[in-house]
Amino acid sequence: MKKISGLVLLLTLVSAGLYAQGAAQEDKVTISGFVRDSSSGEALIGAAVYVKELQKGTSANAYGFYSLTLARGTYNLVIHFVGYREMVLKLQLDASKSIDFQLSSTVIETREVTVTAERKDRNVESAELGRVELEVEKIKSLPALLGEVDLLKTIQLLPGVQDAGEGNSGFYVRGGGPDQNLVLLDEGVVYNASHLFGFFSVFNPDAVKNITLTKGGMPAQYGGRLSSVLDISMKDGHQKEYHAEGGIGYIASRLTLEGPIVKDKSSFIVSGRRTFVDLFLREPFVPASSPIVGNSYYFFDLNAKINYTLSSRDRLYLSGYFGRDVFNFRSRETGFSVRIPWGNATTSLRWNHLFNEKLFMNTSLIFSDYNFEFGAQQQQFDFRIFSGIRDYNAKVDLNWFPTILHNVKFGANYIYHRFTPTNAYARSGDVVFDLGDVTRYYAHDAAAYINDEWDISEKFRLSGGLRATYFAHVGPFDRYVEDPAFAGRFTDTLSYARGEKVADYFNLEPRLSMRYELNSTSSVKAAYTQNYQYIHIASFGSVSLPTDVWVPSTDKIQPQFAVQYALGYFRNFSDNMYETSVEVYYKEMENQIDYEEGATPDQDVRNNPDNNFVFGRGWSYGAEFFIKKSRGKLNGWLGYTLSYTNRNFPDLNLGRTFPAKYDRRHDVSLVMVYDHSKKWTFGLTWVYATGDALTLPAERYFMSAGPPVNVQPNGELGLSNNFYILSGYDQRNGFRQKAYHRLDLSATLRPTRSRDKKFKGEWVFSVYNLYGRQNPYFIYFDVEGNSQEGNQRVQAKQVSLFSIIPSVTYNFKF
Amino acid sequence: MKKFIFLITVVLFAVSCEKNIELDLPDVAGAVVVDGYVENGIPPYILLSKSEAYFDPIGQSSLNNLPLRGALVYLSNGTDTVLLTEIDTVINGVQTGGFYVALDSNTFLPTMIGEPGTTYSLRIVTPEGTEVSASALLPPPTPLDSTWYLVQAELDSLGWGWARLSDPDTLGNNYRLFAKRLNRDPYFLAPFGSAFEDKFINGERFNFAFSRGSLLNSSAEEDNNVEAGFFKRGDTIVVKFCAVDRATFEFWRDAENQLGSNGSPFAVPSNIKSNIKGGRGLFATYTATFDTIIAN
Repeated sequence: MKKISGLVLLLTLVSAGLYAQGAAQEDKVTISGFVRDSSSGEALIGAAVYVKELQKGTSANAYGFYSLTLARGTYNLVIHFVGYREMVLKLQLDASKSIDFQLSSTVIETREVTVTAERKDRNVESAELGRVELEVEKIKSLPALLGEVDLLKTIQLLPGVQDAGEGNSGFYVRGGGPDQNLVLLDEGVVYNASHLFGFFSVFNPDAVKNITLTKGGMPAQYGGRLSSVLDISMKDGHQKEYHAEGGIGYIASRLTLEGPIVKDKSSFIVSGRRTFVDLFLREPFVPASSPIVGNSYYFFDLNAKINYTLSSRDRLYLSGYFGRDVFNFRSRETGFSVRIPWGNATTSLRWNHLFNEKLFMNTSLIFSDYNFEFGAQQQQFDFRIFSGIRDYNAKVDLNWFPTILHNVKFGANYIYHRFTPTNAYARSGDVVFDLGDVTRYYAHDAAAYINDEWDISEKFRLSGGLRATYFAHVGPFDRYVEDPAFAGRFTDTLSYARGEKVADYFNLEPRLSMRYELNSTSSVKAAYTQNYQYIHIASFGSVSLPTDVWVPSTDKIQPQFAVQYALGYFRNFSDNMYETSVEVYYKEMENQIDYEEGATPDQDVRNNPDNNFVFGRGWSYGAEFFIKKSRGKLNGWLGYTLSYTNRNFPDLNLGRTFPAKYDRRHDVSLVMVYDHSKKWTFGLTWVYATGDALTLPAERYFMSAGPPVNVQPNGELGLSNNFYILSGYDQRNGFRQKAYHRLDLSATLRPTRSRDKKFKGEWVFSVYNLYGRQNPYFIYFDVEGNSQEGNQRVQAKQVSLFSIIPSVTYNFKF
Repeated sequence: MKKFIFLITVVLFAVSCEKNIELDLPDVAGAVVVDGYVENGIPPYILLSKSEAYFDPIGQSSLNNLPLRGALVYLSNGTDTVLLTEIDTVINGVQTGGFYVALDSNTFLPTMIGEPGTTYSLRIVTPEGTEVSASALLPPPTPLDSTWYLVQAELDSLGWGWARLSDPDTLGNNYRLFAKRLNRDPYFLAPFGSAFEDKFINGERFNFAFSRGSLLNSSAEEDNNVEAGFFKRGDTIVVKFCAVDRATFEFWRDAENQLGSNGSPFAVPSNIKSNIKGGRGLFATYTATFDTIIAN
């Protein structure tokens, strides 16, 4: 009931606001168009179009489209985008017109930005809380592990975002789990964004144009996840000329080709990346008799995109991503072999249509797929595990700019999910083990939303939205009713026919954020967000693994639900050269899932995984401090987060509250880029983080490995001294690892070449962990000494993964 | 699987390093640990000890303190209840206590014998007055159909033991396998993965292989070279195949998981499922059948 009244209030506010301005509409004219890069024709997502006289403006949407409705008159328009030369245009507006702006990049020429006009900065002016955009070009000049530029690892350097451990590209946002981040690549959901168990992310930086992370105050057009949205846009491809870009590094090599299909009308981009160490682990580099032969690991990513301008009002985009990790292992001695392939595929077809200068529409058809397989063979044995998720998604998003005071977004979305939780197949000779039929979950997932960003007064902006979501788990489905006294034995099976409803949920998600401008350089913002999430990961591991399976909300699993309150103070200094902010948040998460204590993966086979889940709640609160210098030779940021994240599950840790594994008291990131000259750019990152929470044994006890009194067929008696030392655990995550800190440096050298101007090469030298800090990766225990001599003891050993790692990467462009 | 991932990580980043660290962990110790056995055809026996803080040094003095002496251990088969007799035993050449067996304290004749199909209940009262209890079914025997030895391809004389099992039709059979090479192994040894259930093999007749178990922390050459885990041509292998109750299977499944994932950064550590109320450990039941393989 409370939710309904919220909706009514919001709609009333929006419509009242719109009608109030309706009366004066006749005198108004609209300018609209696209903001693009002058050389490549790439849309500049989020570019600001600002009216100096009104101290108001708008920003280009995900396709570079903007629309401004103003009273007739003469205005100075400022078009601004980070990394581009600001454009100021004096404009006599008598009638509605369409103007496309072409901004030229400053990165290539001077690396200096001159401020030509006064304008309010987005940091202060927008109503957005907890939203950060990153420039891919800047990320490329930061140090990287083994020289492999990684967008997700740069995301981890932002306040409120935590990494998932040494070298891991997984991330946690404001106390949320790894399944609570929506990762979109050109609107296609990427379900597992990492290669090599998390060490590298799947995003090839050469194919990416723009990254936006929303960690709080999520607007209504996004949904389906509790914690964050990472929205990654692929480049469209150069509209005017053919270009190639690539690089050779320690880990992988890359090549990107782009260019026009029909100049200024249609273009393409194809980008590939692959590791190559496996190519050297075979003949002729390694003799065929070597035990290494037959063992290999590689991953690759392939991105492709084409777009076609049908008319001035219509444009089509087709983009795709395909990536795989493949691990092969073979033991010649035992005839044992393993093959583990896994990866994502996404395809999205999008149609931009401009109904008129105020109404923009995008319609998308999206396919997403993630699957994992593990296959092992030995002699007569054959064993296979597979899991995955597949989505068919249709989406329509409209963007309406009725007046300069409103930016309205509304739309609808439907997804058909097919979940394949862990399934197994096993065979010994001719006998196929009964591991049950392939279990799958099917679900309908629908949403409709409206969001309005409304300048209520000069100082006060409100962004209010509502998202209505419907989710239904449908058949075919077999619910195994488990005998409470005997896990794995079933008393009944409930069968649902194709399309038959197993469980369904309808929910409303109000979103509200507001900004009050204190003056032209400072503002306060507040946000309230409600989110539901209908898909879940429960992990057997303590970190995200490719084996993690997604499951939908079912009759047993209630949808995850989160409420987040956030408050922020934003202030810019020195002509917007320094952007600063302080944000505090409080977040509550209901219906969190985990496996029951001691659960093992085999319990999921021939069973419903949700029979093995336990449910609980989590909460997180903290403060985030951020200082960013966005201009000048020296730029970068400093972020500090203080946070607390706890969980409580009645069936875990004896019902006692425990810290989440990623509960991190202090988290500091320093990121600096120094543009020394056209020839040299230097990068530095330093991170400090409180150690991870960890469960360690509290007690130990001895158990005989088998009956110590052995009666043999001849009647002989024996007593063994073969005892195992077993561990008992007490507080879950009750121990802290040592703090993590690390300094990385990079230097980019661009040798100047006068003869061939088109070809640009650069060397990136990187040092990871410069001062060789032995950061904890994991702790294990070893029994040392001799029990007979009485000096035996359990010794804890801390393993660190990376010491100082220098690397060199060569990149080229022509 | 986790072990695999772990292995891959370590192999790929062979740059890792390790060091000893000191940890300050809370002391949780002194729980009653039951290591109890009911086997078919022999008197049931129980080893009682206490748990220790994880980082206490392990030495003779601590081993001397471990056994729980002077407890009253009652065992019931549903009709009779007997008090087990504490007998001094020698482990590692040292006199230890805490060993209780169903033998008469004067005559040393059995007061109770493990009888398949019987449910046994255990009640222990420690000298401090702590009460601990458990119960378990000694299941009917499930003998193997046949056993044999097979040399592995590419290995001239090394191989695994093989067995053929017909699992009974009803779901809920659990097994644990031990083997002993005559004149070579001092005891029956459990290979890794010794405990299994019939969840996926219910009512099936199938072949399976088993590797050779070794003594814990064995320093024997054959346990540390290419022969580790293999039987060898010429061995005489006695297979002790046991039908066990559910709790015994679960305990050893969890224990092997725990031992196998020590320190793995990917594992979630958890306590071993136990059928002991008020304590740790396992009140185990084993109904054994024996087979002999001449490896050739």
